[in-house]
Amino acid sequence: MASQNQDPAAAATLKASETGGSAARGSVTKRLQQELMTLMMSGDKGISAFPESDNLFKWVGTIDGAQGTVYEGLRYRLSLEFPAGYPYQAPRVKFLTSCFHPNVDPQGFICLDILKDKWSALYDVRCILLSLQSLLGEPNNESPLNTTAAELWENQEAFKAHLHSTFQG
Amino acid sequence: MEDIGMEEDSAEISGSAQKQGVADAWETVTNALMSPGGPGPEQGLWDSLALLSGEGLGRLLGGWLLETLQMRLSSAVVPEFWAELQQPENELEERGRAWVLLTAFQTLLGRLEPFLGGLERLESWQDEGRGSVCGPGPGGLQERAFTIIRALLLFSPSPVLQERVLEFYSRTFSVYMHQEGQAEDGAEAPEGPEGGVCPGCGVPTQQCWCKEALEQLKELSHILSKLQLLEWVSCEAVTSILHKLIEQRMEQHCRGEYERSFLLEFQTWLELVLGWLSKVFASEAEKDGLLPAPGAPGAPGAPSTPSVPSTPCFQAGQPGSSVLKQWRCHMHQFFCRIYVNMRIEELFSIIRDFPESKAAIEDLKFCLERTNQRQQLLTSLKSAFESRLLHPGVHTSDILTVYISAIKALRELDPSMVILQVACQPIRKYLRTREDTVRQIVAGLTGDAEGCTDLASELSRGDPVTLEMQDSDEEGADPEDWTPDPTDAVPDKMGSKRRSSDIISLLVSIYGSKDIFIDEYRAVLADRLLHQLNYNTAREIRNVELLKLRFGESHMHYCEVMLKDMADSRRINSNIREEESRLSEEEQPPLSLSSIILSSEFWPPLKEEKLELPPVVCQAMEAYTHRYEKLKAMRTLSWKPHLGSVTLDLELEDRTLTNLTVSPIHAAIILHFQDKSSWTLEELSVKLGAPKELLHRKLALWQQHGVLREEAGGALLRGGDGLSEQREEKLQLFWAYIQAMLTNLDSMTLDRIHSMLRMFVATGPVVTEMDINELEGFLQRKVREHQLLVSAGVYRLPKAN
Repeated sequence: MASQNQDPAAAATLKASETGGSAARGSVTKRLQQELMTLMMSGDKGISAFPESDNLFKWVGTIDGAQGTVYEGLRYRLSLEFPAGYPYQAPRVKFLTSCFHPNVDPQGFICLDILKDKWSALYDVRCILLSLQSLLGEPNNESPLNTTAAELWENQEAFKAHLHSTFQG
Repeated sequence: MEDIGMEEDSAEISGSAQKQGVADAWETVTNALMSPGGPGPEQGLWDSLALLSGEGLGRLLGGWLLETLQMRLSSAVVPEFWAELQQPENELEERGRAWVLLTAFQTLLGRLEPFLGGLERLESWQDEGRGSVCGPGPGGLQERAFTIIRALLLFSPSPVLQERVLEFYSRTFSVYMHQEGQAEDGAEAPEGPEGGVCPGCGVPTQQCWCKEALEQLKELSHILSKLQLLEWVSCEAVTSILHKLIEQRMEQHCRGEYERSFLLEFQTWLELVLGWLSKVFASEAEKDGLLPAPGAPGAPGAPSTPSVPSTPCFQAGQPGSSVLKQWRCHMHQFFCRIYVNMRIEELFSIIRDFPESKAAIEDLKFCLERTNQRQQLLTSLKSAFESRLLHPGVHTSDILTVYISAIKALRELDPSMVILQVACQPIRKYLRTREDTVRQIVAGLTGDAEGCTDLASELSRGDPVTLEMQDSDEEGADPEDWTPDPTDAVPDKMGSKRRSSDIISLLVSIYGSKDIFIDEYRAVLADRLLHQLNYNTAREIRNVELLKLRFGESHMHYCEVMLKDMADSRRINSNIREEESRLSEEEQPPLSLSSIILSSEFWPPLKEEKLELPPVVCQAMEAYTHRYEKLKAMRTLSWKPHLGSVTLDLELEDRTLTNLTVSPIHAAIILHFQDKSSWTLEELSVKLGAPKELLHRKLALWQQHGVLREEAGGALLRGGDGLSEQREEKLQLFWAYIQAMLTNLDSMTLDRIHSMLRMFVATGPVVTEMDINELEGFLQRKVREHQLLVSAGVYRLPKAN
């Protein structure tokens, strides 16, 4: 009984985002490959990402703290997981290196609008990495995940000292 | 009270001396009745009894006893029992609670024993013929007494009794299972093997009360049996324990495990459980056991539970009392039901894993025959198919694979094929809506589809296809309409033919027509024959022969002609070749040409594309046609210049590319550069008679090889100088990838880098594969330039700054 209601719904969402079966997966693969290519060609300094293994749906990313911010000289590892519905669904992005930051919780989860409700299929990996890099320098202290970090942020000297003393590259 | 009063009234009617005598006699008799184990019957008692009987009062004795029992029960015994059971609120430990439970029942028995004794005595008097003292008849009094006890005691049972009994039984169960079940893997033990903890009673070993618990169990069951309360107090607890344990065990052992059969294992386990049950119902069993002399060798060894047939069943070989027999049946039934429930839930996965999951299917089949759950299975399976399989997110070939597994699994499960037919109806309906179903099936049949080897092997079994034309949408759509096969329908070969279980027949019948498959097969065959270009048709011939067996000769006629064309072409070709070889040196054709000659009537229409080949090729073709016409009078060749392939060597200024196999249009393009090193797209398009867009696409190949390059004005140049530049570009791109992977993945071996590059640098047209040696050279160059570090075969980037 339930399945009769469930099935068309599932079908509808699938239709909305994909055109069906492996063709869809194929197109996601293609898109990711294209994004990788773009990222490789862009030559952006301080951001980088690459598939973790032969699975194109799981990447490892690296961002360097931007110059002029307290994060300068620190390098952070991230994991990026792409759902089958990508790019219609946001990838799951998480810090692997522990990151002392107002918008990052101790497990590495990130509070960033473009990874949640503001996600759009027009964003890509490069865009995510650049956003995260700038998030490091410009946290959103309105909705902190790490209140300690948010409170300390006002005092940049102390923040930097704490950050660098606790950093575990 | 009232009763007694009445008797005294009636006694009063007689004389006072007699009255006194009767009263005394009454006193004597009632005292004797209630005195537990008092002195044996003596003359005085017999006299009194005779007196009472003479007065017609004897028959009142039974009523009086019951009445007294009832009063005592409701005024004192029952409240006392409940108070005792409940009194130690927040009792310290389980062991203490077990003790309280037992004591409560012990007290209860103690209070009631005089009455029971009295009743017994009354009955024995009656039997001895000392007058009618019992009233209703033998046994009736005791029966009534027990009814009264049950009624008053359990009229409003407090949950505490149920809880305590449940707890106590659970504990004795785990103790018993621990002692008996050497084979058990500790699944029953509440705590892990934590050194000091007794796995039986779950307390530190020095305080272990396993033995005590078992003794308590024995005593409790004895008391309950004596009071005829066993069934009322224990059954519920035992049932819920058994159900819980079977469920638990099944969750732990069977869920998700399809490759092993669990029936035997559970049987042994259930036998073990029966051992415990026999302890719980020990006294009952003994009582019953006295009568039929159980387990005597004379008794037929036939299974005592008729529902259980031969093989992996729960045999009742033990001295089964009727109580235990009932429990055995009950447990078996319950096991089947839980097992079927669980497997129904998992059936989709089981089907997906078939044939690995064959054991699970066989178990399920066995249990399903014992529970009436086919309907549930059908409903659940259908909805599982619909929600997990039949939506746009699943590839057609995957649906087919599952369908094939379902056919195989369900024909194991239900040889009458009824489940198969009904449950798979939605799949068939859905497949009809998929455009590529036919293509996928044909690909499967010819062994082209990956993962779908079943069909090819199925084909080679070669049974003729029996089409089921009655397979319409309406039929069997509603599970309510489903009716089982008549019981006399033998599930033999004929029966299964009737409701086909043949995979290919079932697949082909999805559309109800063979032609659609044969047309598709013809297209696939044409494709294969034309692509391999080597006249090698062994595999195709085999497939066509097998398909002929399936679909009949006439349907496969076109395909046969196609295969014959291939054979003819090979022969004609070698003929012409031979002829050419006899020519003199200067007459030899400039390029060697082979052809595949198709009888156009029989082949599916080929893709038309315009292409003008360079003159040298055209001449060769004309010469070939000439020779053909000589061989085959009244026939000629009409060439398809865009089909086929060309093998060529390319000599460039700095290198030579040998044995390149390309399409005719590629070859035609590069051939034009032989005469002139620079062409515009426009010129080439005119020359080749092909549209510019097409040419532009085709040029990419030569650009990738670094043979041609495009200039700003749209002109094309023969390579050479452009080459190294392009190569450098390619290496630069590789380097970006290598840097990125080493940045993110730290360190990698040469092989890993190579395979990563191969995997992920697949986009852009510029990139071609890189040989591993070439890559190694490149990486070593980077190492020399200090852009890369290598140690023990592992590459890494130097630390930044």
